[in-house]
Amino acid sequence: MKKLLYPKLAFESIRKNKRLYLPYILTCVGMVAMYYIILYLVYCKPVESLPGSGMIREMMGLGSWVMALFSCLFLFYTNSFLMRRRKKEFGLYSILGMSKRNLAQIQFWETLIIGAAALAGGLFVGILLSKTAELILVNIVSGEIEYSMSFSPEAVIKTVYIFGVIFLLLLLNSVRQIMFSTTMTLLKSENTGEKPPKANWLFGIAGVALLGAAYYIAVTTNNAITAIFTFFGAVMMVILGTYLLMIFGSVMFCRILQKSRRYYYKPNHFVSVSSMAYRMKRNGAGLASICILATMVLVMISSTSSLYFGNTDALRRSDPREVAVTYYMDSFEGLEGLSPENISKLRSALDSYHSEHGVVPQNVIAYREIYVPGYLKDGVVETDVSIFNTSDVALIDDGLTCFVFVPLEDYNQTYGTDYTLSDGEALAYNVHTNFNGDSISFNMGQTLKIVGQIKKFDPDSEAVTQIFPSVFLFVPDLKSAVAGLDRLANYQGDPMLDYMWNYCFDTGLSPDDQITYGRSFLQDSFDIKDNGFLVSSRSARIAEYDRRDFTALYGGLFFLGIMLSVVFIFAAVLIIYYKQISEGYEDQSRFGIMQKVGMTKREIRKSINSQLLTVFFLPLVLAAVHLGFALPIISKLLLLFDLRNIPLFYAVAAGCFAIFALLYTLVYKITSNAYYNIVSGAKEA
Amino acid sequence: MSILEVSGIRKVYSARFGGQKVEALKNVSFSVERGEYVAIMGESGSGKTTLLNILAALDRPTAGKVLLEGLDLAKIKDSAIAQFRRDNLGFVFQEFNLLDTFTVGDNIFLPLVLAGCPYREMTDRLRPIAAKLGIPGILDKYPYEISGGQKQRAAVARAMITNPKLILADEPTGALDSRSTDELLKLFADVNMTGQTILMVTHSVKAASSSKRVLFIKDGEVFHQLYRGMDTDEQFYQRITDTLILVATGGELK
Repeated sequence: MKKLLYPKLAFESIRKNKRLYLPYILTCVGMVAMYYIILYLVYCKPVESLPGSGMIREMMGLGSWVMALFSCLFLFYTNSFLMRRRKKEFGLYSILGMSKRNLAQIQFWETLIIGAAALAGGLFVGILLSKTAELILVNIVSGEIEYSMSFSPEAVIKTVYIFGVIFLLLLLNSVRQIMFSTTMTLLKSENTGEKPPKANWLFGIAGVALLGAAYYIAVTTNNAITAIFTFFGAVMMVILGTYLLMIFGSVMFCRILQKSRRYYYKPNHFVSVSSMAYRMKRNGAGLASICILATMVLVMISSTSSLYFGNTDALRRSDPREVAVTYYMDSFEGLEGLSPENISKLRSALDSYHSEHGVVPQNVIAYREIYVPGYLKDGVVETDVSIFNTSDVALIDDGLTCFVFVPLEDYNQTYGTDYTLSDGEALAYNVHTNFNGDSISFNMGQTLKIVGQIKKFDPDSEAVTQIFPSVFLFVPDLKSAVAGLDRLANYQGDPMLDYMWNYCFDTGLSPDDQITYGRSFLQDSFDIKDNGFLVSSRSARIAEYDRRDFTALYGGLFFLGIMLSVVFIFAAVLIIYYKQISEGYEDQSRFGIMQKVGMTKREIRKSINSQLLTVFFLPLVLAAVHLGFALPIISKLLLLFDLRNIPLFYAVAAGCFAIFALLYTLVYKITSNAYYNIVSGAKEA
Repeated sequence: MSILEVSGIRKVYSARFGGQKVEALKNVSFSVERGEYVAIMGESGSGKTTLLNILAALDRPTAGKVLLEGLDLAKIKDSAIAQFRRDNLGFVFQEFNLLDTFTVGDNIFLPLVLAGCPYREMTDRLRPIAAKLGIPGILDKYPYEISGGQKQRAAVARAMITNPKLILADEPTGALDSRSTDELLKLFADVNMTGQTILMVTHSVKAASSSKRVLFIKDGEVFHQLYRGMDTDEQFYQRITDTLILVATGGELK
């Protein structure tokens, strides 16, 4: 009998405090389930067979650690609510003669019961949902899969292991709290922390300053390379700034309002402002967490979904034909390699390969190009190589442009036009830039007169996908156009110019055959190098292969974004719920006093309502501001993923915010009911 | 003229699912004159808190009437009751009921702020009251920083600052030590001397002995009352004790 006392006490206290424990257990179940699902995707067989599975698995593996860390932090947070309420009970037990050892025993059984329930429930839900999640993922990345109920033992074991550790840490933490407090502090713990909030000017202002600085960085970062370096710092500053602002800044703000007698001593402001200071002090951390979670969800969902939905668009631009090959000519004999005789010899060799395999290349795009990087300023191009020695990447990005010379003859042939130019004239085509000067003058080279802009052109995929802008110059004669520039050498003494021949075509084959043929074509045509065409290397893209790879990558990212968002939203909802419940209990007595002192129920309800609304929507508003400032820098980062459809990204972000706000309001409605039930339940007594 | 007139008050509580009915007050009638200091005494469960709640318009009687300066409390609309309370009644509670979100000064201002009183007038009103109650030094402190006696004096100040027609006190000494109790009772007597009407509910003989009249309530009925007359506190204390002993030993009065 005696042996069973502690498990019994633990079980009874969970049963009797259902209202507190149920949400906590559900949280644990949710966390376990989410963790299992993500882990399952790392281990399960069906995902393995998907295109780009390596990428997905790596991301999910990474995601699982993020998830584990988040679960741990979050469970500690929710557990602290429980502990505060439980301590009073422990104080009572302690007065009745239980030693701290006994209390620890109760705590042990309690953790064991909750942990076991959470793992059992979580794994059950997780296994059930993982199948669904898997089907969704496979659908998103457009793979094919047969339906069969499956689960992964490795994922189960790892989940049990990780959450076992988390629950152990929780137990140690509560035992530590019991050990280091006396009976009296245990008894009174529920009432501590009622000291009036002090305005901490230093931290409050630091919070505002951090946010301001982060926003400044986000807005002023104007290129992708710098963004990589600054983004992480800005994120850290925003997180820290949000916490400081919510915890200290808000109290500081209330104090400033209280200093203004004309404002403060008004019926509408008096109660609201003073209780707000308390509310913010108690909820600052929770609200900041909600704000950060909301921002993360919004950023994640809007960027991953933009990538996912925008990638077809990006692919069409970077892969205008089914197969695209760029042949790089030996740089010391570049002009020789690009001579019409050499190119036509190369092309006929390729054509014979096509006909050997019964393929008729269609919609062929073929043009030669000479490429040189330089700084463009006021129509003058600086090509001095010493500048390219700098290690400052950001500086290079500042105005660095790629100049590509293409023979007009090749253009006319490909696009069926009959443009003519005289010597020293050129037509231009811009990629990611808006150069519109009348002339362009190369330092150490020629000056070209720009007589017009070309509308229709399919630039090579490198120009499209790289973050640097390019200017294509269509010239009547390649050799004279680059005269002088061919002397340029980089710091290793190699020529600066690149000589290339682009060759793109459609095959008219089925998607799978496109890949097979594309691959064999590339493989076999590499022998061409030995056949004396002066080709030193070649790079190639197969559109269908790229598409599958992209879809797998961005589909995986999108899915991970959704999964993590669901988890974060779940966490935010629980924080809100705990906040409402705990505030409800604390406001019970205050509500009663105000009524006795002569506030009408309507006045009280109005005041509390406005406070709840403020507290509730503050994180959402701040998240919106964060998102607003983050969009510019994220859109720069997305350039690295070749997402250039910025309006799409902004629209998606706005859409995500609208949906999120709707969800959030719904949660508010539901949880504020719980709050009113608690508060009004008390005043009857 | 009586400031408060209570006639035939009955209050029945019924359990939520019908059945058991509890009669907290059977038939209570009494009146309080302007400037009086009345204590209502009774054991736990005698119905005195119910009575006070009805007088404070926090609860409504099942039958009977409460008239404050001739105004029937039952006639006041629910929506207007809080304001009526604010304008006419002052409260002192056993548990002080100071809001921990306000400084002592702001706690005292609360009813005035709710009434839309300008800041200057509030401070003008507070100054003499604070001086009388000996609390000018703690106005900027928070309730948790001061002692029980100080808290109760702050609560008295809050009750007085609206110049209420009637101060209702519910076991005001219940949570105080004996020294603070003496101070508070002295304060009540002083405040009463300035013409303030006070109605106190208590089971402490000591508290009751500072009043001018004691009503004894038992089983939901007023069954006896004592006037102080020219008694000192000690003499009055003795008479109250004697009465209570008589009641306890089953002796019949009247």
